[in-house]
Amino acid sequence: MKHEITLHVNGDEYPIAVDPWRTLNEVLREDLNLTGTKFGCGSGDCGACTVLVEGRSVNSCLTLAVEMDGREITTVEGLAPSGERLHPIQEAFVERGAIQCGFCTPGMELSALHLLEKNPKPTEAEIRSAISGNLCRCTGYNKIVEAVADAAGRMKPKK
Amino acid sequence: MEDRYSIIGKDVPRNDAVAKATGAAAYTDDMKLPGMLHGKLLRSPLPHARIRRIDTSRAERLPGVKCVITGEDTPKVKYGNWRLFPTTQDEYPLAVDKVRFIGDEVAAVAAVDVDTALEALELIRVEYEELPAVFDVDAALAKTAPALHEASPTNISIDRKISYGDVERGFSASDYVREDTFTVHAVSPGYMEPCSSLALCDLDGRITLWTSTQTPYIVQCLLASTLGMRENDIRVIKPFVGGGFGGKMELRPWEFCAAFMARRTGRPVKFTLTRQEELCYGRRRHPMKLWSKVGFKKDGTLVAKDLKILLDGGAYNAMGPTATFLCGNFGAMLYRYPNYRFLGEHVYTNKAPASAMRGFGAPQSLFAAETQMNMAAEELGIDPIELRIKNAMVTGDEIPGVATISSCGFIESLQEAAKMSGWKRKRKNFKAGRGIGVGCYSFISGGVFNWFNTQYPFSAAEVRAFADGTVHLLTMASDIGQGSDTVLKQILAEELGLGMEDIRITSADTAMTPQADLGTWGSRVTLMGGGAVQNAARKIKEELFGTVSARFDLNVIFEMECRNGRVYAKGKPERGMTFGEAVALAQKARRGEPLVARGYYTPRDKGLVTPAFSFGAQVAEVEVDRETGIVSVKKMWTAHDCGTVINPMAVEGQLEGSIHMGLGYALSEELQVENGRTMNNTFLDYKMFTAEDMPPGESVCIETYEPEGPMGAKEAGEGLASPTAPAVAEAVYHATGYRCKDLPITPEKILKGMKK
Amino acid sequence: MTLSKFDYYGPKTVAEAVGLLGEIGEGAKVMAGGTDVLVRIRHRMLKPRAVVGLKRIEGLNGISCGPKRGLSVGATALLADVAAHRGIRRLYPGIAEAALGTANVQVRNMATLAGNLCNASPAADNAPTLLALNAELTIQGPGGERKRPLEGFFKGPGVTDLAPEEVVTAIFVPPPAERSGTAYLHLSARGKHDCTAVGVGVMLAMAGRKCRDARIFISACGPTPLRAPQAEQMLIGQVPTDKRMAEAGVRASGEALPICDIRASADYRCRVLGVLTRRALQAARDRAAKKG
Repeated sequence: MKHEITLHVNGDEYPIAVDPWRTLNEVLREDLNLTGTKFGCGSGDCGACTVLVEGRSVNSCLTLAVEMDGREITTVEGLAPSGERLHPIQEAFVERGAIQCGFCTPGMELSALHLLEKNPKPTEAEIRSAISGNLCRCTGYNKIVEAVADAAGRMKPKK
Repeated sequence: MEDRYSIIGKDVPRNDAVAKATGAAAYTDDMKLPGMLHGKLLRSPLPHARIRRIDTSRAERLPGVKCVITGEDTPKVKYGNWRLFPTTQDEYPLAVDKVRFIGDEVAAVAAVDVDTALEALELIRVEYEELPAVFDVDAALAKTAPALHEASPTNISIDRKISYGDVERGFSASDYVREDTFTVHAVSPGYMEPCSSLALCDLDGRITLWTSTQTPYIVQCLLASTLGMRENDIRVIKPFVGGGFGGKMELRPWEFCAAFMARRTGRPVKFTLTRQEELCYGRRRHPMKLWSKVGFKKDGTLVAKDLKILLDGGAYNAMGPTATFLCGNFGAMLYRYPNYRFLGEHVYTNKAPASAMRGFGAPQSLFAAETQMNMAAEELGIDPIELRIKNAMVTGDEIPGVATISSCGFIESLQEAAKMSGWKRKRKNFKAGRGIGVGCYSFISGGVFNWFNTQYPFSAAEVRAFADGTVHLLTMASDIGQGSDTVLKQILAEELGLGMEDIRITSADTAMTPQADLGTWGSRVTLMGGGAVQNAARKIKEELFGTVSARFDLNVIFEMECRNGRVYAKGKPERGMTFGEAVALAQKARRGEPLVARGYYTPRDKGLVTPAFSFGAQVAEVEVDRETGIVSVKKMWTAHDCGTVINPMAVEGQLEGSIHMGLGYALSEELQVENGRTMNNTFLDYKMFTAEDMPPGESVCIETYEPEGPMGAKEAGEGLASPTAPAVAEAVYHATGYRCKDLPITPEKILKGMKK
Repeated sequence: MTLSKFDYYGPKTVAEAVGLLGEIGEGAKVMAGGTDVLVRIRHRMLKPRAVVGLKRIEGLNGISCGPKRGLSVGATALLADVAAHRGIRRLYPGIAEAALGTANVQVRNMATLAGNLCNASPAADNAPTLLALNAELTIQGPGGERKRPLEGFFKGPGVTDLAPEEVVTAIFVPPPAERSGTAYLHLSARGKHDCTAVGVGVMLAMAGRKCRDARIFISACGPTPLRAPQAEQMLIGQVPTDKRMAEAGVRASGEALPICDIRASADYRCRVLGVLTRRALQAARDRAAKKG
């Protein structure tokens, strides 16, 4: 039996009917066409599918869509909603060479956002710990760590 | 020198970085077409068996299933990348008569959704007659071993011999000779994007295939032959690709099935692999058994080397023949070996096929060679770096009948790595549990051997110039994350004096970009693709120089230049015009015919291996917990010669990524295969380093000028997959007394092998 | 691979959940965070007819912690919240360490302490410390609520004492004993956040210079988390010197029942178990000493 739910994604409302076995990852990618969120492993080990739910980073591949009814979800498409200007995290990733193949990038950026929202001035060790659930096979992580540190400086502290 | 280049040597961000940062970049699995079906593969549960019968009728009757195929439905044409030698082509897209490894593709289903396709797989009945199977090279080479392929009764599918000098006399003349056997294990390329392919058949019956590949041209050609179609009736497009590392450079069964079933059903068909399929059945780096004998003079001068390698190839050749060639070549690289003999044999076993993976034979061969060098240094009483410097290759060296070293910064790399790391001091004064070690590498900048038997140049580029001051670069070269689109644009921008923003690039579309490009592998794109771009750019420049020269009535002795968006006489910059004006004028002179040039690169008269070698040295420092055997890597220092650095940020990224993969190879990654079954089917158990595990690093580029490369550039980042494992192994030995001769280095092996 | 098909129920109360489990009968699976259940469904190791999610039950995610009242963690409280909880970090550092050492950031943002226990993985990171601290489970079933010690709860890999219609609603940990310390150490081939190849949770309580009580539990070295009673006895009533702790470690490794798997061999597990036990005991002793 399908469940009628409403997803709040990047500030938009999506009333949809979902099969109970469908993951948030599938619904975002297939029903909502938000394909910035990737599917890398399906077992919570790679982090390519990371999204924020109420500000917390989770693996969308291990999240049932039906349990997301009414929850606030942020995907990579919601980082810079206007499309005119990149989010400081995105800017730093671009300029610092933190992106190669790009498949881990959306998940990395959201893990970085999850960290920086809680901890605006993280140490290198804290950054490494915060992105340790996101595998990257291209960069060796160093440039990503530098980019997150750089992004921390670019993000205006909340008043 | 300061302003020799405007854009070469600058940290230019990737041209696709914004698309990737915003999630807009579409990878194959992100794409959807109207009416699209979803494909799934049925794989063999047995390592070796004859297929008696396949019953697909129940699967076909399942509502939502649109097409089910087995090998019997296909044209039964074998394929393989070594097209020059058709006997090496040993694989069918779907098994015919026999399966040879757990995971061998037996049937395919296309259905309205993935759930239905999966359900249909469960309804296919296959009757197998199980055959005896072999799981390692020793078993495969035993007299009584079953043959995997009729054409190879001994299970040796290909061998490679190299010989120069006189090895036996060399050993007689040596003061110190040692023999060692090494084994290395299987690892996964571990690219983050699982393979995905989407095929569309148009009303004329032509195929368009979007696929996650490193080699669109190879896929196009082999798809044509296996489908029984003409090459030009197939268009292969490489969308954004999430890494390859060698694992995506062949035709794959799902590419064939997507195309075949799209033709059959008239609907687009997409296949996307799961991570489990990738790890259990996907291509991997060859496990090998290496026997090496090496002879030195008392003073450390290398005299002779005899190397025998057995490659555990798995069930099919894949890129094994190339790996067999390269491990022989790299057995005698880095140092001057006056006498060398190599025998490499590629052996079939009933396991998932091994193939290309970053380094392509070199990481295995160099692990043995560099470890043996470290062992010899100890016994000869010579510092390992000193011993290397004493024997190091230099520019101009010749490997008899194989290659000439046209540029080489190896000695400088060794010296720099020693200096940066504080080698001498640390080597002497380390406390128990701490150690430092060195490993080195050399690698190719693309291969010269035409095993694919391409009828086109190795690389090609087309440049279209426009009166608005922009150009359009078209090339079949494939950016799979390494950044070749950016690097090729930089080369073009430099040649034409334009900015990155003035260049539009279309790449890796076999119907739109000029024939051809062999793809992304063997670190060939910067040198070969870059060479083609430079060649095309120079033709455009010649035309513009003529036009501007005529317009200003310049003396024929004037040198001309394209720079800062202008075309002008070098000595008299005021005699010139903007690039766009020059194009407009040239076009006018051609009575409207657009200004287009094509450039090509094919290595000729460059020996047997490559036009250019990179070199480098790496030092690793480790701390070993002597009670648990856990190794923590404290720091890595790398000095490498990659010729002219076109984009330092990209080169650093390649280097750091190589260290990540190299450390995994040395310490944590291993595909554990039991009776032909790969046991670690998730990233939880296939352990790639996380951000927390990665040590800090320092690196320096030793700039040389490679005469064969564009602006003097050559390979960067693939060869670096090799030095890390021997460097870490030596550091662990220095720290504990445990000498690793069988990768990976595990805590368990350390505890067992540690000297108290 | 997609998930196999199942029905989903999101009860609002524990009673409703228990009722649903009874109605559905065989093939019902309780799910809290889902990080283990959904992976097993994806890999077809589990094919439930229906999933009963606990997340919509109000008040089930609470954490309450104090030196007098002890620690109470609701069934849907996240591992991330347990790991970051100030009170837990102060009073039960071993519990916080084990929670922080479980999987990775995202998984800890979804997974629960109760789920980690109910999955009954022999390698569960959170079991040894809770066992060492005499944790107690609150369980709701058709007949009402019952409480039972965590010790004895695990019956085998993936098997617990829980009846099919029962739900664990909370985990209770008694107030830390005076002058006691806990520690959790685990080890794997890669980094801190990884599937554990060997783990040890210990609790040590002191009286004067002597050890008054010791509890040692081992994970990933047997079909369930195991207790090392002989090693405990070597410490109780003794001055816990480094030497004694090393001996207790060796004894503990003799009490384990490790197997060889792709994460480590039995031999290696035994060998390092002694080392980890000693180190965990030392850490617990130092913590107990700090409390004076």
